[in-house]
Amino acid sequence: MRQIWAIGLNTFREAIRNRVFASLIMFAMALMLMTLAISSASLHEEERLLKDVGLFLTSTFSVLIAVFVGVNLVYKEIDRKTIFTLIPKPIFRFQFLIGKALGLSLTMLVQVLVMAVVLRLQFLVVDARFGLEMVQALFLVYIEVLVIVGVALLFSSFSTPFLSGMLTLGVFAVGRFVDRLVDLRLKTGGGDRTPELDQVSALMRGVAHILPDLSLYNTTTYVVYDKVIEWSYVAQATGYGLTYMAVCLAVASFFFSRRDFV
Amino acid sequence: MSTPALSVTDLVKTFDLGFLGSLPGFGGLAARLQIKGIAQRVQAVRGVSFEVQRGEIFGFLGPNGAGKTTTIKMLMGLLRPTSGSGTLLGHPLGHREARQRLGFLPEHPYFYDYLKPMEFLDFYGQLFAMTAKERRQRAAALIERLGLSHAVGRPLRKFSKGMVQRIGIAQALINDPELVVLDEPMSGLDPIGRKDIRDLIFELKQQGKTIFFSTHILQDVEMICDRVAIIINGQMRALGPLTELLQSPTQQVDVVVGRLPEEAARRLEGLAQGTVRLGDAIQFRLGDGADVDTFVGDALGAGGRLVSVVPHRRSLEDLFVAEAKRGAAP
Ligand SMILES: Nc1ncnc2c1ncn2[C@@H]1O[C@H](COP(=O)(O)OP(=O)(O)OP(=O)(O)O)[C@@H](O)[C@H]1O
Ligand SMILES: [Mg+2]
Repeated sequence: MRQIWAIGLNTFREAIRNRVFASLIMFAMALMLMTLAISSASLHEEERLLKDVGLFLTSTFSVLIAVFVGVNLVYKEIDRKTIFTLIPKPIFRFQFLIGKALGLSLTMLVQVLVMAVVLRLQFLVVDARFGLEMVQALFLVYIEVLVIVGVALLFSSFSTPFLSGMLTLGVFAVGRFVDRLVDLRLKTGGGDRTPELDQVSALMRGVAHILPDLSLYNTTTYVVYDKVIEWSYVAQATGYGLTYMAVCLAVASFFFSRRDFV
Repeated sequence: MSTPALSVTDLVKTFDLGFLGSLPGFGGLAARLQIKGIAQRVQAVRGVSFEVQRGEIFGFLGPNGAGKTTTIKMLMGLLRPTSGSGTLLGHPLGHREARQRLGFLPEHPYFYDYLKPMEFLDFYGQLFAMTAKERRQRAAALIERLGLSHAVGRPLRKFSKGMVQRIGIAQALINDPELVVLDEPMSGLDPIGRKDIRDLIFELKQQGKTIFFSTHILQDVEMICDRVAIIINGQMRALGPLTELLQSPTQQVDVVVGRLPEEAARRLEGLAQGTVRLGDAIQFRLGDGADVDTFVGDALGAGGRLVSVVPHRRSLEDLFVAEAKRGAAP
């Protein structure tokens, strides 16, 4: 456990001191300030727009950064050969992987917190309500990011950063609509169901069961209508996300443990 | 003690190249299907066996591409052997118990850009589950010992090549290991740096540790190794104490004579197996069973001055070149 923590902390430290990370955060912050400009241009609706767009940008940006950093995380250690001195240490390979995941999770926590602070300040400017539901929504954004961290590490345990990045983004894009895929019943233009279409639908439904259901983390409606999210929902979505991440890491560890470092 | 510090038996590593080969598990498949351009194999190590005894300095010698690094990576658990086995400190390869007492410096090491020396060594100390106090003391002592005290405030990204090599050696020693494996520890170092490392290796031996290091620089080996293994083209070519390996197969003697008149020199050249002109002196190499006494008397009688008479010793370079040639024409 101490070793995992050491690896996590080192990963975190490296990420925080890296200029690329700092500039990504700056960029995200600049973009959010633009929302302010846009929303203040639209009369009456400005508060809703700010909440909607602000939350969307926070989650999308955090996920993109998580994908970008996540797929490079292990690759960088191999490419730069820093892993050559880690693997012979008295640690299990899965400890290394979990340590990396922990470090990235800490880094992303900082990222989401910074965005949250920016959002809070924006709300102050337009005098909008920043209620409990906003805190809950941002917390769930972070859980969504953790799911993506798991997926990114899973793909990167057996493929290149580019391919892993593409695959992870694919999972992210489809994952947000998984709830609609789960009961997909394709029909022809005339409204009929054919055996072929049924097969395709079944396949899609199958895929939907493996992919993470990221629609759980879209709580815009609550936020826009100032409605506090039920705690049971928050707990359920958190449990689901952490479990999904754990399964991803377990599978990633399996691939990682049989890998050659050349 | 009884068990060797390190041993390998019939170690083999074959790399699968090409597109599918780079994916885990697909290399063998591609090779079996004999898909051109996809199935390319490189036999980096082909059946290497040796043992390193406790307390010795063992040199692992071979030209570029011989398979030194590949062998070491298999020992360190970075590569899975295609076949064969090995032990570290009495445990099978990969055992955690052994890794707790192991130090390793990879070839051309590279470390975390944004860490400072103390942070870096502290991190590695944590991986060995050392206490905070142990880590601090040990890291400070190693930074001092490796002459990096002037650079404690700098992140590793700003280290020169030689400094990276030194901090790399420091991390290999952070846990006070019983067995130290170094892949080309002297590379990138200037003559003073190389001497420092040689001294350090010697110091470690005096503390009772076992040192296994690879190199293709003969001088490093000649000065400090108890035994060496020579690997060429993935195969072991020689193994043993240097003095034994360097013993000439025949008993030749080198006689060096100075100020020999030209006509006497030409006459004596006929009696020698070979001569080398060294300024105003000449070195005669006399073959097995030559009458050295008579030869020397003859040379002195002709007005020459005796400089030296020594039994001929092969140089490591001779051995290396001879073995490499043997490898080229199997
Ligand atoms: N990842 C790899 N894929 C394919 N071939 C490899 C790989 N790594 C090493 N080889 C090949 O294996 C052989 C041995 O390489 P290795 O790095 O072990 O040599 P070395 O003795 O360490 O050489 P050097 O003194 O240059 O460091 C070489 O022919 C090399 O091209
Ligand atoms: Mg090498």
